[in-house]
Order: sequence, then C-alpha cells, then structure tokens
Amino acid sequence: MTDVMDPGFDTHSTEAPGRPFRFRVFRYKQGDRAPHFEEFSLHVAEDTTVLDALTAIRNRLDPTLVLRHSCFHASCGTCGLRVNDREAMACVTKVVDLKSPVIKVEPIANQALVADLVTDMVDFYARFNAIGRAFVQAVAGPPDAATPEGVGHYSRFENCIECGLCLSACPIVASDPRYLGPAALAAAWRAVEEPRGLDPNAILQLTDDEQGSWRCHAAFECSEACPANVDPAGAIMLLRQRQVGEQLRSMLGGRRR
Amino acid sequence: MQEQPAGGPNRTRWTPSGEEQKHTWGWVLQAVTGMLVLLLVTLHMIANHFVVQRGLRDFAAVVAYLSNPLVVVLEVLFLVVVTWHGLLGLRAVLFDFGFSRRVESWITRVLWVVGVAIVFYGLWLTWVIASYH
Amino acid sequence: MSERLVEQSPAGREGVDSAAVQRRTDGASPRRRGVASWGDPRGRRLGGWAFVLHRVTGLGILIYLFLHLAVLSLLARGPSAWDDFVSIALSPFFLFFDVVLIFGLLAHGLNGIRVTLVGFGLVVDRQKAMFVALMVLGAIILIVAALRIFEVG
Repeated sequence: MTDVMDPGFDTHSTEAPGRPFRFRVFRYKQGDRAPHFEEFSLHVAEDTTVLDALTAIRNRLDPTLVLRHSCFHASCGTCGLRVNDREAMACVTKVVDLKSPVIKVEPIANQALVADLVTDMVDFYARFNAIGRAFVQAVAGPPDAATPEGVGHYSRFENCIECGLCLSACPIVASDPRYLGPAALAAAWRAVEEPRGLDPNAILQLTDDEQGSWRCHAAFECSEACPANVDPAGAIMLLRQRQVGEQLRSMLGGRRR
Repeated sequence: MQEQPAGGPNRTRWTPSGEEQKHTWGWVLQAVTGMLVLLLVTLHMIANHFVVQRGLRDFAAVVAYLSNPLVVVLEVLFLVVVTWHGLLGLRAVLFDFGFSRRVESWITRVLWVVGVAIVFYGLWLTWVIASYH
Repeated sequence: MSERLVEQSPAGREGVDSAAVQRRTDGASPRRRGVASWGDPRGRRLGGWAFVLHRVTGLGILIYLFLHLAVLSLLARGPSAWDDFVSIALSPFFLFFDVVLIFGLLAHGLNGIRVTLVGFGLVVDRQKAMFVALMVLGAIILIVAALRIFEVG
C-alpha cells in the first residue's frame, strides 16, 4: 500500500536526524472528564514549524489528534495556538526558534473547546457582530486606495485575520466574560476611522462602555500576541481618545450626539 | 436598553452593560485623582518625614503641623483623593472578576459607604488633634 | 452547514443563536483562564508584568492606607500613646517595610503615568520604552530613599 502524502507538503522531509523534541500536546474529546497532555517525540529539521510537527504527529503517530489549519502562511488565522504558554500561529512558528527541548501545545484560551487543539470561534465572531461590523464583509476598497497614504490606511484593519490570539492573551478576557475584547474593539476603531456605511457615532457610543474600551488595563498582551500588526491595544487607546473628545465636545455644546 | 443574557456557561451573546456613558468620566477621574495623589503623596512625605527631626513627627510636632489651616486643607484633600482613587481602583479590579450586575452594584454601594466613612473618620481625627492645645 | 448560526442584521446586536451553538459544541463553555491567570508568570510579556505590578501594588497600598488610618487613631488617645508608637515606628523592622511601601508607591505611581498617558492615546507607540524608563527612574528614587531612611547616605 502506498503512503498517502498530505497535500501541500511532505511530512517525511520535516524529519531529519538530529535532536528529538518532546511535544506535550493538549488532548480533550467531548465527554472526557478532564483534558490531559500526551507526549510525542519527534525529530525536526531547522525549518520545521509547529504545524508541520503536529501534522506529522497526526499522520504518523496519532490519527485521533484534532487539528485545524489552512493557508500555511499566517494569513487565514486558523491555526492559532498557545505554544509554551505564548500565543502563536503554528504555521510560521519554527520549532527550533522556541529554544526549548519541550514544546507544550495548547488550544487558544478563553474560547469553547471542540476537541484537542480546536476551539469553537463562534464566541469570538459574535463580538464583531455586537459592534455592528459583520465579520464577513464585501471587499470594497476606499476611493483613495491607489495612493500610498490610502493603501496604508486601507490595509491597517484588513490586517486582522481573526485568529483569536489577542483574546487568548488578554488578562481581562480571561477573567470577565462580558468584556468585549481587543479584536472587536480594534475593529470598532477601524470602523470609526473608516465607516464605509456604518455609523461611527453609534459604534463610539456602543464601545464607550464599562465592558467596552474602558475595561482595558493597558497590558498590551494583545498587541504582543497579534501576528498581523493590528495593535489592538493601540486601537483601544485611540478609541478612548476619541470618546473623551466626543464627551467634551457634547458637554461644551458642540456636535449633537 | 440591551438586556444582559442570564448568567450561564455558554454565554455567546455580547451586549454592552447598558448604562449611559458615565464610564469615560469614571476613568478620567481615576487618571486625574491618580496624578493628584502622586503630587499630594510627595508633599505629604516631605512634610512628615523630610522636614522633621528623626523623620517622624512626635505628638507635639503633629499638633503643630495641623495648626496650619493650609496643611489641614491639603491633608483632607489628600485623604479624599487617595480614598477615591483607591476604592475606585479596587472596584475596577473586582469588576474584572466578571460578577453579575447585581453583585457589581452592591460592590459599588458598599465602596461608597466605606469611602464616605473614611473621609468622615479623617475629618473627625483632624478635629480631635487640632483641638489639643 | 446550512444552519445560520450568526445573525447578520445591520445593527448587529442580535448576537449569536445560542441554541445552535449549544448543539454544535455539545455544551462546552468558553475555557476562560480565569483570575488565576493574572498570577501565572508563564508566557507573560513586559506589558503583562506592568499590569500585574500595578494591580498588586495598588491593592498593597490600599491595605496600607487602612492600616495607616487605623494607626493614626492613636493620635486621638493623646501624646503618650502616639509617642510610644513613634519609637516602634523607627525600628529597623518598620523602616524596612517603609522601603517596601515606597517601592509600591513608586511602581504604582510611575506606571500610573504610563497608564494615564497611554489611556488617552498618547505615547502609545513608545509605551514599552516609557515603562522601562519610568521603572529605572523609580529604582533610582527607591535607592536614594532607602539610603535616606536608613541614614547611610
């Protein structure tokens, strides 16, 4: 029987003689009383990514490992994981770069668990809905997208790949289920900067809330975790700046809200 | 306005807290009182530890200190501002725990009572010391 | 999957069809890391440490405030009660805790400057450098204060 190769890459080439790494992989299936870790030993090459290694584990050692991925280049946002306690995109994180013989792999935090390393992202997406910005939107460039300034501005939000790493890293999302969270607040800021048909004032008011922009405590863990340069913490601070400005303006009898 | 969904494990609806935009000012006050505390605690430290013998005022020195009305005003202001900042900060930390809105409004009420009690205690104590001659 | 799990209304406030989510995830609820994660040092980065430090020192200072106000009630009991306390307060044991207090005040106050500026959208891009600079300043002030307190300097 011929070996069936995974489409897209050759798992055999990721293994090379050299140091073996111990992968401690989080395991959980619906109905288990509690999750547990399972260990797999794997040789890796210099360019083996965590995703390569996990796929090799699934293909060669344990076909019951549940794993999710798509694009292999950190632009789809699917393979977000916690690797050695830090949020990372598995497809671009090289095993040797982690500088540790033991690689602990867990699903991203603060989302519902489906199985093993896969979370249900419905809670994550619902937050975008709450601010009125559908997470699936028609791609329509702004009129000035052709100019250098326009392109930079345009790509700022489109950077967000909705991977959920920011919500996983945020200490407040970890403790408070009602906090809107960095991803949606960054999206709210982008919608205020560039409404494209949405009402920016409505979004400002909605997020000017105890559970909105004011719940952030400037830990900046979200911006550190973000693989796509969204800088959600920065966006939250700019949102606040605008909210204070609007409050002052309305207090001083300026623009009606 | 928006109703909070009933507390439960699978809470996937996000709704805002429903209160009007007081929160901006809550936070701005925290920042303002914080800056004031930084200033006033420095003055307080200097006045009580750096311009006195042995770095600590004995009873007579305390009475002398509080005989100056400007000092009384500053110390009372300091007490109000630091109590406000501290208790609002405690409230913020507790609110990060994700309690229900009922619990949260109880926390707010209790902290208000504690804060007012502290300020009244401070005023009483100042009056007691100031009336020592 | 033909189920419409997410409402795409213009206001976007309908949220999610919880029943459908329930069926899909077999009742699994979000695995929040919880308040305990604040104390988990693993994986924490500089800003996260600033967050923890601010919290811990804030609560510490608040506890100190209560203790301090309680001790001040000795003043109401007259000169001998207070002056007895003053001699205890000048012992090395107490002075050590004074240094701890000053550490807390500096850490909380200086990081508070960062939190205030950043929280109004100022200096956000250099906030990490600002934190480091403020903590270095705090360390210098702390050393000077400690020397002064123990009268070595």
